[in-house]
Parts: sequence; C-alpha cells; structure tokens
Amino acid sequence: MSSTPSSKPLPPARARRGAAPAERREWLLFALLVGPNLLLFAVFTYWPLLYNGYLSFVRWDLLAPVKLWVGLDNYRELFTSAAFAGILVNTVVFTVATVALICGLGLLLALLLNQPLRGRNGVRAVVFSPVMLSGAAIGLVWIYIFDPRYGLLDIFIRGVGLRSPNWLLDPAWAMTAIVIVHVWKNLGYAVVIFLAGLQAIPRELYEAAVVDGAGSGARLRHITLPGLSPVLFFLLLTTTLTGFQAFDIIKVMTDGGPVDATTTLIYYLYQEGFVGFNAGRAGVAAVLLFVMMFAFTVVQMRTSERHVHYS
Amino acid sequence: MSQYALNRRQLLQGMAAGAGMLALAACAPVMTPAAAPAEGAAGDAAASARQPVTVTLWSSYTGKNGEAEAELVKRFNESQSDVVLDYQFQGSYEETAQKLTAALQAKTAPEISLLSDVWWFKFYLNQVLLPLDDLLAAENVDLADYQDSLINEGVRQGKHYWIPFARSTPLFYYNKEKWSEAGLPDRGPETWAEFSEWAPKLVKMDGDAMATAAFAHPDGASYIAWLFQPVTWQFGGKFSDPDFTMHMTDENTVRAGQFYADTVHEFKWAQPTKDISADFINGLAAATMMSTGSMGGVKANATFDFGTAFLPKETNFGCCTGGAGLSILSNTPAEKQQPAMQYLAFASSPESTAFWAQSTGYMPVRKSALESEAMQSYFVEFPQFKTATEQLPLTQPQDAARVFVPNGDQIIGKGLERITVQSEDVATVFADVQATLEQEAQPIIESLKAVEG
Amino acid sequence: MAQLETTDHYLQTNSAHAQEQIYWAGQRHGFLQRAPGYLAMLLCLLVIGLPVYWMVIGAFKQSSEIYHIPPTWLPLEPTLTNFSKAWNSAPFGRYYVNTLITTIFGSAFEIVFAVTSAYAFAFLRFPRKEWLFVLLLAALMVPAQVTILPNYLTVAQLGWVNSYAGIIVPGAAVAYGTFLLRQYYRTLPLEVIDAAKVDGAGYLRTLMAVVVPLAKPAIISFGLLSVVAKWNDFLWPLIVTNTRDMRVLPIGIYWLRVEEGSIDWGVIMAGTLFVVVPIVLIFLYAQRYIVDGIAAGAVKG
Repeated sequence: MSSTPSSKPLPPARARRGAAPAERREWLLFALLVGPNLLLFAVFTYWPLLYNGYLSFVRWDLLAPVKLWVGLDNYRELFTSAAFAGILVNTVVFTVATVALICGLGLLLALLLNQPLRGRNGVRAVVFSPVMLSGAAIGLVWIYIFDPRYGLLDIFIRGVGLRSPNWLLDPAWAMTAIVIVHVWKNLGYAVVIFLAGLQAIPRELYEAAVVDGAGSGARLRHITLPGLSPVLFFLLLTTTLTGFQAFDIIKVMTDGGPVDATTTLIYYLYQEGFVGFNAGRAGVAAVLLFVMMFAFTVVQMRTSERHVHYS
Repeated sequence: MSQYALNRRQLLQGMAAGAGMLALAACAPVMTPAAAPAEGAAGDAAASARQPVTVTLWSSYTGKNGEAEAELVKRFNESQSDVVLDYQFQGSYEETAQKLTAALQAKTAPEISLLSDVWWFKFYLNQVLLPLDDLLAAENVDLADYQDSLINEGVRQGKHYWIPFARSTPLFYYNKEKWSEAGLPDRGPETWAEFSEWAPKLVKMDGDAMATAAFAHPDGASYIAWLFQPVTWQFGGKFSDPDFTMHMTDENTVRAGQFYADTVHEFKWAQPTKDISADFINGLAAATMMSTGSMGGVKANATFDFGTAFLPKETNFGCCTGGAGLSILSNTPAEKQQPAMQYLAFASSPESTAFWAQSTGYMPVRKSALESEAMQSYFVEFPQFKTATEQLPLTQPQDAARVFVPNGDQIIGKGLERITVQSEDVATVFADVQATLEQEAQPIIESLKAVEG
Repeated sequence: MAQLETTDHYLQTNSAHAQEQIYWAGQRHGFLQRAPGYLAMLLCLLVIGLPVYWMVIGAFKQSSEIYHIPPTWLPLEPTLTNFSKAWNSAPFGRYYVNTLITTIFGSAFEIVFAVTSAYAFAFLRFPRKEWLFVLLLAALMVPAQVTILPNYLTVAQLGWVNSYAGIIVPGAAVAYGTFLLRQYYRTLPLEVIDAAKVDGAGYLRTLMAVVVPLAKPAIISFGLLSVVAKWNDFLWPLIVTNTRDMRVLPIGIYWLRVEEGSIDWGVIMAGTLFVVVPIVLIFLYAQRYIVDGIAAGAVKG
C-alpha cells in the first residue's frame, strides 16, 4: 500500500537546513510526534503477538499459578485434530466466499450506480449504510430475519414455494447465513471504493474510445476493468483481511455453532482464549492467524506490483 | 468521575503508559465496589455510625428471574445496615464463569459469585473458593434444614464450598390447549413410548413446514446435555462414573441417543430450536423438557394454560438436579468474609427461598420453606410448581462427565447437536465425544489428586 | 487559492458525476433503455434496505404479532412499549454516557496520533523512517481478537480492568489514519508549507497553522470513521468491564437476548435502534466525508 516512495515529494526542509543541531531537533520532534503512537502499538499490538507465541508453547488455564511448558504439544494436538482441520476449512470457505461475493457484487453495483440514473445517490447511501452499523445490532436483527417460521426471509422463500431451512441451527446452512450477513454488511464498502476507482479513470480514454467506435462492451473490457485493477487489488487485500477478522456477527448469531459449523480461526481463538481458557491453544491459533494474514498480504502486494495496470 | 482522587498507584500507572494517558487514568474509576451501592441502602448507610462494608455479588439472571434477584438484594440491604450488597449482572452462567476467571487473574474478583453446577468445581479445584463451615457456624445457619441432596452437592472432603440458591430439576412442560385439541388426557406421558404414540396427534403442519412440533430440543448452548442426561438414565445408560470412567459408548447410552435422533429424523415430531422456552410460550412446540427455573417466564408470558409433569420413564425413572449456587471467593479480605456469608445465609433463608421459588420456579432449598404456610398455599394456587418439589426426592447427582470435566457440558452438547440437528451416526458421534471427554478429564484427575490426595 | 483547489480535488470523487453527465449526455439514453437500470436499483434497494425496515417495524410490533405466522408488513397495533421495556431492562442512560466518553476520548486519541504521526512521516527526517512506517502499517494485519488475551493481562497488571482507561487506551494507537493522512499531506502544495517556513514558523506551528487547516477534510473523514468504529466496539468493552456503570451500548443490547423465558424480538429491535440511530444521524449529516475517507484509502494508495 505504501510502496511508492519514488513519487514522494522531498521534505522542504532538506534543501535549506542541513546543519547537525537542526537535524537532531528534527529527530527529537519525530520521536515526540510518533513516539506515543508507536509505544502504544508496541505495548498493545506487538507485545501481544510475541506473548501469544510464548503461550503457544505452554499449557495454562489463567487460574493456575504456573504455566506448564509443553513444547510443541499444542501444535501437534491441533494439527492432528479433525475438528481443527474443519475450522481451517471454515475459515477458507468463509473468506473466499465473502471476498468473491463482496468484490463481484460490489463491482456490478458500482457499474450500475455509475450510470446516470435518477436517485442513484440515495441508493448509494442505502447500500453503504450497513457498513456503519454495529455488528452486534446487525447480528441480532438477522437472527430475527432468519427465523424459519416468523422471519422476513421466510416470506420470500414461501413465496416461491419452498420451505425455509433452519438457517442458524442447521450446520449446512449456518455458514451460508453468516456469509450472507457479512456480505450484506460489507458490500457498501466495496461499492464506494469501486465507484471512486471508476471516477479516477480519465474521461478522455472513454471519449477517445467512442471516437474510435468502441461499443460499451469493448469500453468495459479495455478501459474500465483494466483501470479498476489497482482498486481491485486493494479490495481483495482489505476484504480478505476483513474476512479473516469477522467476529461480532458470528459471536452474536451462532456462537461458532451449530457443531462448530461457523467456527473460523478467529472465533476459535476467542473461544479457546476467553471461553475455554486454554491459553496454549489460543496461542497456536493466534500465531497461525498472523502467519496466514502476513503471508497473504506479502503475496498480494508482490502480485499487485507486478500485475496492476496503473493508468 | 471527579469523585475519584488521583492516588499514587494510578499516577504510576499513568506514567507507565506514557505521556498523554495521565489525564485519562485519573478519571478512570478503578473498580471500587463502593462506586455503586444498591439503591435504598444508601440512606440507611449514611445514618449508621459505622461504615457499612460493601460486598459485591456477581450473578446471571435476567428477565423475571433478574427482577426477583434484584428484589432479594434490595430486601437484604434494607434488612440491616452493616453490609451493602452491590449486585452486578455478568451474562449467562458461562459468561459469569469466564468473567470470574479473568477477574481472578486481574485481581478484580468479587466477594461472592453465583456459579452453575458445571462451573463451581473448576474453581474449587483451583483452590479459589473459601471453605464456608466456620462462617456458616458463626452465622448460625441450620445446615440440617437444607434439602440434603442439594447442600451435599457442594461438599468436598467434608467442607461446604457451594451453597444451593437457584436449584432446579428438568420438568416435562405441556401446553394444555394443544393437549385437549389432540384429545389427550390432562397429564404428562408415563413413558417415552406413550409420548411417541401421542406426539403425532400434536404435530401441526403448514404445508411442508412444521408449524407446531410435539416436542422441542434445545441446542448445546442451552444445555441440551443437561436435559439429555436423565434420558440416558431412563434408558439405563449414563455419561460416566464418579471416577471419570466414561460410558458414552455403552449400549444403553447410545440407545438413548438414537431415540433423541429418531424423534427428529425418524418419527419427525420433534424439532431442534435455539430457544425452547420461546417456542413453548409461542405455541411452536406443544411440549418440552425445561428447567423448573423457566417456570416464572412461562407463567408470565404464556397465553394458554400449561401443565408440568415428572419426566417420562423408559426402563427406569431418572432425573437430575441443576441450576446454580453461591460461593465466596478465597481472596476475600477477612473483614468481608462474614458480611459475605450474611448474604449467603439471607439468600438461602426459608423466607428468601420461598419468595425466590415463587417468583422464578426454582426449588425452595430449605425443608422448612417447603412446609411453610406461604409455600403450601402457593402450591394450591399454582399446582404446576408442586411437581418440581415432588420430583426432587427422586433425583440423583449428575454425572462427572458433565459437571466436573471442564466444558464437559458443551462437549456432550455439541455431540447431541450432531445427532439431532445433523443426522450423524449416533455411535460414531458418541465415540468421538467419549474420546474428547477422556482427554479433557485427564488434567482434572491430576489436579484432583493434588488437591484432595 | 491553493487551499481551495486542494479541497476540491479531494472531494472530486463525489462531485465527479457532474463531468460524467457531460459524457453520458452525448449518449442519449431513453427511459426505456434505462428501465433495467432502475429495476436493478430497486432490487438492490430492497435487498439492502428491507432488513433495516424489518428492524424498525419490529420495534413497534407487539410480541404476539412478532410470532404471527405469516409475518406482517406493518405493525397491526403499533406500540411504544418495546422501547420503554428495552430502556428499563438495563441502565441504558448510563450506557449512553459511557459510550459517548469512550467514543470521544478514543477517537480524540486516534485523531491526534494520526495528525502528528502522519506529519512526522510525511515531512520529517529520521533514520529508518520507511522501516518504521511499515512497522506501523503492519499493525493493520493484527486483528484485535488476537491481542485480547495478552492485552487483558496487561490491562490487569496496570489495574485498568473496568475503567475508561482500560477500554480506551489499548485501542488508541492508529495505523490506518496515519497512512491516510500521510498520503493526503503529501498532496498538499509545498509552496504554502515553504512559505510558512520562510516566515520562520517552527515545525509544530507549521503543523498547527498550515497543515491541519489544509488537511481538514481528510481529518474530518478519518475522525468520523474513527467515531463510528469506537461507537460500535463490542468485544473488548465486553471483556474489560465488570459493572453496570462501566458498560457500553452494544453490550447492553447483546444482553437483551439472554432474557430468560422468551426472546422478545420487539424489545430487542427497539434496543438495536438505541445503538444504530445516532450513527445513522451522523451518516446522514456527514455522508460525503465518511465515504471520502474510505475511498481515499484505496485510490490514493
């Protein structure tokens, strides 16, 4: 995201003041301005990461006075457990499904709302609004909507002559349900970003294409989509990270159930850490989650440097 | 906020966190229970010459039951001027236990906590509960007047750690309107076989969908393992022995599991649901098994007449107790221990337990309360409630696999979801559950040796 | 002069439709050709809007009506009792106060840190500056849930459990805002900053007197995003508070559902409105800033 240092304007101060005392003052100022922020990150973000690494090697329930060193036992236990494999699968399914739907539907909606249609600003606002709403509140509303007997969704499912599944109690449907809610809540984010991307594409390109007699399909393929590629890469990255981190909705709607069907890695981490108080297993999950997110980010940024078409 | 003076500890903490945080630390009320004395007590306290001691209670009740508990606390605070009880709701039984674990680590634990049947033992094993015998004696509590089976559940090595407060048994609830529509006699089924004959008459279909189920099963989070436990006993099975030998894979336990699965998938008259009590109250289920503690809510919200009955039999009768009791945490400072006990004694006194039982449906924990005038006349007025107390003498203690194995209740509950909600093979699922229980029991067996020898 | 231009440029994402209309005007689409577009818009309005509608009407339905099969589209006998029931089931007044305090202080910290850190990263020289910046951004990859257990232990050590400091401080550091504002500062006209320097203004005065006023739209955008995030924060306050007088709104509504006896959806929907309505009002009032704050992260990156 920040890998364009070449375009950076030179600090204005550099040319005029090169003297050593001024430089020292600049350092001091830098430390003063950035210090508190970095200090808080050190204490409340980076230290916890290291500490989780340590916890992944112990067995501890928070109550016992000592943390029992068990070496790689926690890792061995989790990597040989079928339930944990299921949780990793859930994580991948949830993340892939939500990223694909958010980016796909987001693009379609953005293309739609970029048309000169009357009332589109109102629709944009409505589409974006769920992004702002409390996950806890949204989760509660959707439990009510999903109820197979008196919920909103049931009206439509009956309307087409089908029977509503027992959304939140049926393991086969619960994952679908939380994917729907997560997509519903985060779609507006993608729409806003795609719209900004669309508007950043130079108008002259379209004008030239029209002059050349390119149809709307050709313009979409040759101008719009390539022009959106930086934005698309950005979205793939952020929605994936959001998917890995989805929590409030799962906590409120399913508590990871039924039968672990909606337990993702992050939910597992919470359950082991703060519900079951198995600090060791929570540590393993934390380490794994961070490694996955880090690896994904690095790969994503590398790929985007190579493939993104900057207009 | 300004009422909190900036003390040295907070100053240090503020400095530790770096500049800019100082002002914030100063206005942060570090948890002092005195911050929120229960209403009503404040006036008395000010009048009294001696500073009253503040004792904090963590508890788990909401709705009707929460109102009743708040009333109990109010009565306690009005009844005397030495102790101010600060009552704090902490979420479900599970959330309360989680909060308590975290708070013990942070040294912000309360003096008294409500602990459910599946949680108190974990805290006992970690030696954070106070043995109560001396305090009970000093308060002149008549232990012989408590229901024997209830008080004895909280005893380890001859010492009391867990005083019964909101104790329950499962009951069979049925909707009398639906019963008469189906032409059934006004009573609960004698046996599961009998109910299997009745059930199809109770089911109402709306197209393909079941508008009314004959019976509802809860999910793991709503304690399906607790309600299934007596069913295993009725089928001649059990979860485990007291020495942690697991019996999930015994023929009779599996048979009970198969019956549960069949009610949903084979006989199709039962439905799994997220909230059995809401389903029952709203007529979506004609009958269900539920805690006696749900009776207050059903009574207040149901628009139909309902009945309660003993649990059905299969080869035997079987019924367990459940619910929650009160414990005092062992890091309670000496000067607060007796005041804390004062509340325990008050909350489980014959008068209080009678009031609590009538408001909620939990059982009176005192023998004398059961015989009291008030209770007897209540039985006449509200006979559904009497079933619970009549069933109590027939109950047996719960299996170690559910109440002593950490998360045992949820492990079994998840297994039951796999057979009721999903239609997985019962024997396979129970074998998985057995393996997990055995694994999770191991540390408990070790700690038990260390603590009790 | 320069200031005006910059502001306009920043908001262009939203006002760009003016120029676009010029482009589309040449195309001469009739209403019929656009009908599918309007239909699609209607569909999308329904899909996104209906759940919100359901929440609002649920709050006005009586509990017998909630369980009515089939469900009703309008409350038959609208009632306000759900609101009073929800309000009285927990000290919501106090929750509002606490949520306001944690939101205001929490965002204030984030805004101040973002403004100052971004300035330092954009204009000051420091050894390994880029490296420090990446370190700061890497924090975006650490979900809050990963840190809760260690952070709870840290907060416990500091004696901050169940305090405003305990709720606010662990979340006060800011990575996204630093990134956003740094990007924005770098689009500012250098002449203005240089002019300030010639006037002899120090770095801090330049920041306060020149950079902050110029960057106001971006700061407002980020500030609003921060306010929304703090207002909705749920898990950390749930874990770190123990008493009624320290809890925040999302916890209050989360517990409406634990209600024993029956799930009263009308009451729960009324409760969710307590949390949602203030945010919706902010959104209606300041929509463009919020949308810009989000869009700027992508397009300028």
